[in-house]
Amino acid sequence: MSHELRNDPSLLERQQARMKWQQQKQQSFFNASDHTMQNMFSTSMPLAQTNETFTGLLSGHNGLDIVKPDPGLMEDWAGFGDHLSYGYMNQNSIMPLGADQSFVHGNSVSVSTSVTVSVSPKKRKADKGQSLEVVTEKEKKLKGCAEEGDSKITHQNSNNSDKATGDNKSSNSKGASTNTSSKDKSKVSEVQKPDYIHVRARRGQATDSHSLAERVRREKISERMKYLQDLVPGCNKITGKAGMLDEIINYVQSLQKQVEFLSMKLATVNPELDFNIDNVFAKEMFQPSTSEFQGLGCTSETPNPAYFQLNSLDQVYCGLDMGINSAEMALRRSLTAPMSIPETFMDSSCFNQILPSAMWDGDLQNLCKMEFEQGTLIPIQSHQYTGKVIN
Amino acid sequence: MHTSSKQLKKEFIKKWVKGLEICCSSNKKMDVMERKKKIKLCADIALASAKNATTSWSNALIYNAKKDDENAILVDNLLGPESRFNSQRTAHQMITFHKRVRSKRILKKSCTVSQRMKKASPPASNLATCIAKRLVKKRTQVLKKLVPGGEAMDEYSLIKEALDYILSLRVQVDVMRSLANATEVLD
Repeated sequence: MSHELRNDPSLLERQQARMKWQQQKQQSFFNASDHTMQNMFSTSMPLAQTNETFTGLLSGHNGLDIVKPDPGLMEDWAGFGDHLSYGYMNQNSIMPLGADQSFVHGNSVSVSTSVTVSVSPKKRKADKGQSLEVVTEKEKKLKGCAEEGDSKITHQNSNNSDKATGDNKSSNSKGASTNTSSKDKSKVSEVQKPDYIHVRARRGQATDSHSLAERVRREKISERMKYLQDLVPGCNKITGKAGMLDEIINYVQSLQKQVEFLSMKLATVNPELDFNIDNVFAKEMFQPSTSEFQGLGCTSETPNPAYFQLNSLDQVYCGLDMGINSAEMALRRSLTAPMSIPETFMDSSCFNQILPSAMWDGDLQNLCKMEFEQGTLIPIQSHQYTGKVIN
Repeated sequence: MHTSSKQLKKEFIKKWVKGLEICCSSNKKMDVMERKKKIKLCADIALASAKNATTSWSNALIYNAKKDDENAILVDNLLGPESRFNSQRTAHQMITFHKRVRSKRILKKSCTVSQRMKKASPPASNLATCIAKRLVKKRTQVLKKLVPGGEAMDEYSLIKEALDYILSLRVQVDVMRSLANATEVLD
């Protein structure tokens, strides 16, 4: 039994995880007989504070491999005469993760296993210190994994001193990390309960709780800044926070001004606010794939507006999938070649020949010519339709 | 991200068109400025409601728009019955925020005198950091004014909201621009 634990690091790790999980739920039960037990758990007490998140982690992240029921363990420890383990098993029946009963039992056994491993001196003493350390490390890794959504937790055992996740830094004091856990504010969390972030102070840096919390906060902000850098154009070279903020402000201001300008433009273009329907219609018309409009030219005018009104909005939304820009392109495409419009299309009295304006860019016109070969031309409804379309 | 922006575009257009229909159903004669205001208002409300109360800037925007009586009806109609915007909750948030600001101001006033006595001139090595901090602070204040509802947020969530706001503004600009171009070409 003991050699099993030694040789199988993932097993040990799972047990550690389960032990921590157990702690949080069973704090009250520790008050019962065993004082050595209490000693052990008091040293790792800060872990208990993160237990809620741990539960959340376990329940939320089924992808994490730690939660494996281990019936093999169960058998091995069944004969173990420790009353504590027995006590745990009783209490486990009320565990919330009750869906997975085997897990629960395996958990209890593993708790007892690790407990007895650390507590009873006749067992491997060498593992005691290691188990605590692995526990704390593992917890940190779990936090990091929760935040990153990785399940690389099962591979962490390869190197106990390997602490290479974004939130973890190597440190000399575990006390710092425990303080941080209690004082950190909850921010981004994939768990329902408040998230405690474990941070380890770097070598030579202040380890008091305030500065650690500050550092976490700063890192989060810089993370967000990086994301903003991708969003705001032309921000790649700027590294400082003030410069970044400056760019962001400029960008937001320019976008807001554009909105103002465009709404002014729309207001001036339309005498009344009724441009929406026929423009919506116009936009959808320029989807080359809509075959319904092929038949448009044959029908008379009066049924068309009703027909359009029914379907126009829906089809716009479908057409939007192709992107609004393509509608724009199609519009321009059809406009660049007015000569090719066949007679079967709309009544020419309402049809305005729109000449391509000189202000279009060269590349746009190239694009138009390219697309011209492909699609069929669709009639352009002029603005005069407005009165007919809207009742 | 690409699919979500498309979805946002769809939602935005739907609501914007609906809002404009409501606007023009009242057969008032409006001049250009009024029309522009209406268009912009409809666009903003449509954008905010397309977010469906997931972000706080959208809630703040709707809340501010509702404060104006003449817009309130339009906003209500535009939002529809199924919207998740809870005006009471936003109002409550605003009230608590203002209270907090007021109490901070009182505290500051009481402390400034004693602070001035204690304050020693900063050493040269700290000067750069002091200046940098001041710059950052100024800019965050400006950003807070730009993003709707920004004053009530701390720095971290302000940046998060600014991110989201930028994305939505982009969507809005894209849609409006293509519509404007389409109408312009048709004339």
